[in-house]
Amino acid sequence: MLMKYLFAKNDEIPAGSATIFFGFSSIFWFVVGTGLGSFNAAKLAFPDWVTGTELFAFGHMRQVHVLAVIVGWISMAFGMTMMYMTPALGNTRLWSEKLGLWTVFLWNVGLSLGLILLWMGITSGREYSDLIWPIDLVVIFGVLVPLGINVWMTIAHRKTQGIYITNWFFGACIFMVTITILVGQSPEIFNLTGLTEAYLTFWHAHNLLGLWITPVAAGIAYYTIPKLTGNPLYSHRIGHLHFWAIIAFYSTPASHHLMSAPLPEWLKSFASVEGVLILIPAVAFVANILLTMKGKWSLFVENLETKFSITGVLLAIPLNMQGGFQQTRAINWYVHGTGWIVAHAHLALLGMSSFLEAAAVYFGLQQMLRRKLYSLTLGNLHYWFFIIGFCIYWISMTIAGLIQGAGKIYEVPYIDVVVAEHPYMIARWVGGTMVFTGNVVWLYNMWMTAREGTLVPEGRYPHELAYER
Amino acid sequence: MGFKMDQPLYSLSDEQEQDEILKMWESEKHGGLWEGNNRLPMPMVILMALIILTAFMITMPIWGQRPTAAIYQDHIKLMESPEVQRLATPEEKMKYVADTAMQMAKSKGDSRLVGDLERHPLTWDDLLNIAPGIKEVQSGKSKYAIDNYTVLGDRIVLANFEGNFVKSSPAFNGPGGMKSGADDYRERKQPWWDRGYSIDVFYVSYFCLVVAFIVKRLPHFSRKPNMAKAK
Amino acid sequence: MAFRQHKLGAAGVGLMLGFSMMITLFGPSNDFRSGVSTWVGLDKQLSLGRLIGFSYEDPTVSGEGKPITVILDKDPKTGAAIDPPVRAYVYKAGTKFSPGINHNELLGPGVEELSTGIGKIGSASMSSGAVFTVSKGEFNGEEVDYIENTTATRGWTPDAALRTAGDENTRYVGKGKTIYITEGCWWCHTLLPEQTQDWQAFGAPPFLGDFNGEMPTAFGSDRKAPDILHVAARNSSREWMTMHFFNPRLVQPNSIMPRFNYLWGRTDINGNPIDIKAWSKEYDEYLAGNRIYPPEVPEPARDSEVRALIDWVLTSLK
Repeated sequence: MLMKYLFAKNDEIPAGSATIFFGFSSIFWFVVGTGLGSFNAAKLAFPDWVTGTELFAFGHMRQVHVLAVIVGWISMAFGMTMMYMTPALGNTRLWSEKLGLWTVFLWNVGLSLGLILLWMGITSGREYSDLIWPIDLVVIFGVLVPLGINVWMTIAHRKTQGIYITNWFFGACIFMVTITILVGQSPEIFNLTGLTEAYLTFWHAHNLLGLWITPVAAGIAYYTIPKLTGNPLYSHRIGHLHFWAIIAFYSTPASHHLMSAPLPEWLKSFASVEGVLILIPAVAFVANILLTMKGKWSLFVENLETKFSITGVLLAIPLNMQGGFQQTRAINWYVHGTGWIVAHAHLALLGMSSFLEAAAVYFGLQQMLRRKLYSLTLGNLHYWFFIIGFCIYWISMTIAGLIQGAGKIYEVPYIDVVVAEHPYMIARWVGGTMVFTGNVVWLYNMWMTAREGTLVPEGRYPHELAYER
Repeated sequence: MGFKMDQPLYSLSDEQEQDEILKMWESEKHGGLWEGNNRLPMPMVILMALIILTAFMITMPIWGQRPTAAIYQDHIKLMESPEVQRLATPEEKMKYVADTAMQMAKSKGDSRLVGDLERHPLTWDDLLNIAPGIKEVQSGKSKYAIDNYTVLGDRIVLANFEGNFVKSSPAFNGPGGMKSGADDYRERKQPWWDRGYSIDVFYVSYFCLVVAFIVKRLPHFSRKPNMAKAK
Repeated sequence: MAFRQHKLGAAGVGLMLGFSMMITLFGPSNDFRSGVSTWVGLDKQLSLGRLIGFSYEDPTVSGEGKPITVILDKDPKTGAAIDPPVRAYVYKAGTKFSPGINHNELLGPGVEELSTGIGKIGSASMSSGAVFTVSKGEFNGEEVDYIENTTATRGWTPDAALRTAGDENTRYVGKGKTIYITEGCWWCHTLLPEQTQDWQAFGAPPFLGDFNGEMPTAFGSDRKAPDILHVAARNSSREWMTMHFFNPRLVQPNSIMPRFNYLWGRTDINGNPIDIKAWSKEYDEYLAGNRIYPPEVPEPARDSEVRALIDWVLTSLK
């Protein structure tokens, strides 16, 4: 069906096609990514599990998990939300549905290719920029630029006067992540070496999270929460404070990832102040969303999408508290390089960000398919598997990280730390597997929604019908 | 310019103020830089100020700074004392040195030194390794003071900090005494004006200024466009 | 007046991001440039070659086209004994030079002048190959290490150097680091002892100038295993490394490191086929208590990947 639309005239493609293809792709990659995560966790808990072949070696699978989740699930969910929120907020149609479909097509092809190469060990050996630079050029010019053009043109052709905060985030973040990837890949393309390379690797890694994954997720929440609750956003101004603070304070502290490397000390001082200032956008965001919920808190229990969304927003509180302070010189020496950071990264990606996107994907797919969710029970099952699995993962890795930190400063022989961490590695695997199971349920539920969900009449929202028969 | 609390979910501004914002937004020039703008809600301003303050406080040089080689000065003095020479094993020697150095630090009342020593214990072998380096610096061969060095592994090395400018001779060596001589150098310890912090101060002020202008010129989002004016 | 918010917004975002990039990218670039290559830095870049990871000369990241490190105890040209033995980096004809050879400014002040001057690295040619060493010299009264192009200064040719060294003194360091990257060792091991606490357990942190010309640096960020920047200083046994790579639990029962037995390839050093399944079966019997000793670990073949990996670990990570 995708093939048919790729070469159709733009006007003949039904509105929402791009959203639907993006949506299902993202859920598919989420299943793949979390499945790989669960597999990797099993290998950490039981190292003799599958051995003897490099295809299933941990070192070949780990980066595939990370990039499948970031570029596949999270970024595609972003693409999906951009395809339906941007026009909705501009009171217009998507600039080009066809371009959107080409984007999703190239994205899936490019990502599959990149991940297969990574799996085979063809890598650039740089964290979060593991994809070799030709693939990165595909990501930039085949994915981000077309996506950007679509979003920017839709915003420029909007029929409202103001630009809603969500669209500010969408438009700016696509631009910024393109710049980030270009700069981040420059060491490979221009063969920059040494500390410059190390610093640019983490400049890229930090900004990928800071200028793409967290802000776009927040932008999504600015749409879903008011839409689902019917309350207007508490304050558009605080939203803007959030937006500009993200650009100013999230783009600067990259060097706090390398506190122990021989970088210039002034850069580290600069970065750790900026790192704490990340709390400014965080406070603005959380306060804004939670105040918007005023009077509608019952929806947190009753409505599936709100449940996902608010969970994500609540997880942003510990996320930013950790993120703001763990990078200062005072705390970094204890937690750096330990499982604490792994827990923190999953809190950002699997916790805050994924929950917000899951809500938007649930909502958007029902909206665009004009069908009610196939089974609310399965939806709730997904939510509880997701949140319980995530909490098991997060808590166990945090404890493991604290053990590791203590082992580090008290000069405990490393193998004793490994032994002490073993129970938490098993817990991590159990948690990850629960998330994976939940996602399989989700994919089934969404597939059935597309095929058999009750049709939603014109003028109604799918979530309004949740409890109607 | 007051707040209107009866409809907090809609806006904190009253109707008249909303109207004024909209009117201004229709007519203003240069992004509303020069017209009467509105404040951010006061609690947000206070919270922001608090965060900025915290950010600078918690990253002050006094917290979690890497130890300089200076904290082991007492160790070096003690390790050659007859009391230490009399002890048999390296463990005993180190215990004596560490305990005595800690006593000395406590009697000096320098809580920072005490904390540093607690967090950065040494073995006797480590001490033997770094001793020659520290002695060499103390003997005045290096123009840098001992606290400009950090202990990294079995060596002491100059830290990466850019500190105050030290003029090698007080003599007049250029117009206004500002010209730097060949032997002038920068201290390698974190100064109160650390370049990173200085940029931060500048950067944060710039941010507040820019955001004040950008945020304040926005009308409420529920503003319906005047399509007659649109092209 | 209408419809101009996005134009102003775009300009604002651009300015804000541009300003932030100026501070974080342009700001430190001078500091990075001022690093003077240390011996470690020169050794690293000469033994690793142009770049590790995906590149034109090695698109499958298998470690082809990398320089070979040899330990010479005889002069390859004259046959005179060299004591102590010297480490030489052999670039066969066509092997891409490490960045510092073509871009001398990467070496840092002092090293650059000596290397291009008495080191004669300018006359090295990629098409006919070259042999480099790191020598000590004096610049402005300070001792610095510099690169010497021995092909020009002493007439050592790549072939002669390899022949003189023989297999026992040949170390496939460049290929070894490539295996480190492709096998994802750096997802668990770091190459960055921390400046505050680690050095008593894992050795000294790296210094400014230890990385000039290295790509990728692969510090690693997620430490599920010991830091290995100085692992060879703690344990330099090739036998231990061989067993540990084949199955880490042979030497460390509580290890969670994967088995890297697939790096042995199909045959061992004597050309006998390696049957991993049979080995694992015997090992399981050993675990069950039916055997007294675990099965023998095959000795890696000369061109096997694990040989190169162990070479790198034992040669570079001191």
